[in-house]
Amino acid sequence: MSARPFILVLAVAALAGPAAAAPPAPKFKLKPGAAGQVCLECHPDFADRLKKPFVHTPVRSKDCVGCHNPHASDHGKLLAADANAICATCHKDVVAKNAKSTHPPATQQKCGECHDPHASNAKANLVKAGPDLCATCHKTLVDGAKASKFKHRAVENGCGSCHEAHASATGLKLLKADVPQLCLGCHKVDGPILMKKHMNYPVAKARCTSCHDPHGSNVRGMLYNTVHAPVAKGMCGQCHEAPGSPRGFEPKQAGLALCRGCHVQNINKMMDKNRLHRPVTEGAACLSCHGPHASKEKGLLKADMRTVCGSCHADTIKRGDMSVTKHEPIKNSECTSCHDPHGSDAALMLVKAESPELCGKCHDWQKHSSHPVGAKYVDPRNKNLTLQCLSCHRAHGTEFKSMMPYATVPETCTKCHEKFTR
Amino acid sequence: MTVLRAIDARVIVSLVVVLAASGARAQSVAFKHQATVYRDAKDGKLSAPEGVACNDAGLLVIADTGNARLLTYFVKEGAVTPAAEVKVPQLKHPVRLQLDSKGNMLVLDRKLRKIARLDAKGAFQGYVDLKPAGVTEVVPTSFKVDRGDNLYVLDTAAAKVFVADSSGAVTATLPLPADAGAFMDVAVDAGGIVYVLDAVRATVWSAAKGATAFSPLGKSFKDYASFPTYLTANNRGVLLAVDQNGAGLVLLGQDGSYLGRQLSLGWTDGLLYYPSQICLDAQGDAFVADRSNNRVQMFTSIAQ
Repeated sequence: MSARPFILVLAVAALAGPAAAAPPAPKFKLKPGAAGQVCLECHPDFADRLKKPFVHTPVRSKDCVGCHNPHASDHGKLLAADANAICATCHKDVVAKNAKSTHPPATQQKCGECHDPHASNAKANLVKAGPDLCATCHKTLVDGAKASKFKHRAVENGCGSCHEAHASATGLKLLKADVPQLCLGCHKVDGPILMKKHMNYPVAKARCTSCHDPHGSNVRGMLYNTVHAPVAKGMCGQCHEAPGSPRGFEPKQAGLALCRGCHVQNINKMMDKNRLHRPVTEGAACLSCHGPHASKEKGLLKADMRTVCGSCHADTIKRGDMSVTKHEPIKNSECTSCHDPHGSDAALMLVKAESPELCGKCHDWQKHSSHPVGAKYVDPRNKNLTLQCLSCHRAHGTEFKSMMPYATVPETCTKCHEKFTR
Repeated sequence: MTVLRAIDARVIVSLVVVLAASGARAQSVAFKHQATVYRDAKDGKLSAPEGVACNDAGLLVIADTGNARLLTYFVKEGAVTPAAEVKVPQLKHPVRLQLDSKGNMLVLDRKLRKIARLDAKGAFQGYVDLKPAGVTEVVPTSFKVDRGDNLYVLDTAAAKVFVADSSGAVTATLPLPADAGAFMDVAVDAGGIVYVLDAVRATVWSAAKGATAFSPLGKSFKDYASFPTYLTANNRGVLLAVDQNGAGLVLLGQDGSYLGRQLSLGWTDGLLYYPSQICLDAQGDAFVADRSNNRVQMFTSIAQ
């Protein structure tokens, strides 16, 4: 059988095909390039943007109407939808539903905080390249990393070495994996050098970030800047069983008993107070608030005081946050300016029982140039009280000015000076 | 925040709260300021009193914490009369107080971390020494005594509540819930239900008589309390939580439902400043250790 008729049929079909698939004639008699090329006539600055190395696909294909309505819109910049939602029309599932951690700009669909919707010099249309972008929000962290004496190479290669940008399915804090798995990807802790550095302890199962600052540090070994003395001296055996012991990494004793070995004087002093802060003796004891190895914070605190103290005293933190007038120690998370976190003879674990003495540490001049306060002056509202700073102020603030418990100054004063009440 | 707002004590002190305790007919209770205890029999000032106990015989005992002593008073027809001072070397920092059926005083010493037992005349009888199996030492955080003189000791270091009979023999041990903030108090009602109070999360957990574990009682009442540290039940089973940092009382139904909030911050009579303990007598009178006001206040609670 000859193949000629069959080839002919194919040829006819090939010719007929494009004609059948051709788009219908433009409904609105649009000019050629109406979807974007025409826009450039009035927006010539886009010519430069199009030369940038990274151009958003709709922009490159001159499809402005992919995002903008050429005539009118309910949204700024003639966007076809809300600026926070329009990216999701193409970029779906940027944040996985079951993510373990998420980046707020991604979950809040504030894509424009990190990405330029048109073009950029940085990959992925980022508005800035590398850590400079992250520093927009995480300035302290990025600046700290740059200034640190001992730098982490992964940080120098960019935050994306360890962190996802939008969400992480497996790690906290957007980490690409949990610690230590993430760290073990680069650091072979079972090698002779790191084994020796870790005194032969099996650290492969330990949490690296309990000692090391992954963003860099001024302490050799990238330990956090505050290091517990036995760690700094490599004397792990002071607290832990020997490496290779059947109890592994276990501490030699539990809780307070272990810490008492070195901190006996401090612990005896706090135990002798009328009030002992409960975490001292309960649960993880000292480790309720302190890290055992190294910390960013003074006193080896697990986190800043606002976070540590606020884990139990959230009501007090909330009161401070709501206060119209901010008290400096509270604003600066310096709870220990006024409270002893271990034990005290005074109520509320205050470092001094009398508020003029306590407040006078910072407000010295008000001890002698203010409203009479002190033991000689009885509070007219209550014969068992003397006038104190706290007679008219609440240290963590109120919803009223000057941390006063009443809305106005006259209202406060006339609680005692009743004859002036109007 | 409403708890920060002080209201004038010369106006009737508190709010009228509808108590609709679990299926019972709706009842109203008003707390009204009746009297204030400022001084002892020798006109000495109270200092940071943290404990208060009372009984139906008209006995009122105050833990005058700042002066390391107990003070007794008689209550009759709304008047409070000083009686005696109890000062013993075995009490360094008395805080929470309870009276047993014979008028003996049990007092928690926070510094010594022990419960002292004193007879009705104030003579020291010894420290409560519980010996539960498998526990080296019981360190009480708080405690209560029920009508049968059984003792309920909250030991937050051991994360347990120990129940002991009047002879001190441990009859039950209840483990504290693991997923919680910080337990501050234990309470028991007339029906033998044991409660524990978590101050951080403002939640109450309960264990029915004979139960071996606590279960949550209703939802958190964090929206209505800052830092509740003391819990007691009235004779109708309504729970009263003393909100130390919020300077008030929170009332909860038997199912843990929020019933209302009473009293508020201030320095004049009828207002509170870091209250620490409340005691209710059979007449419905309430005595509040108003710690940072250096006084104890008496309120009449009127069922309406």
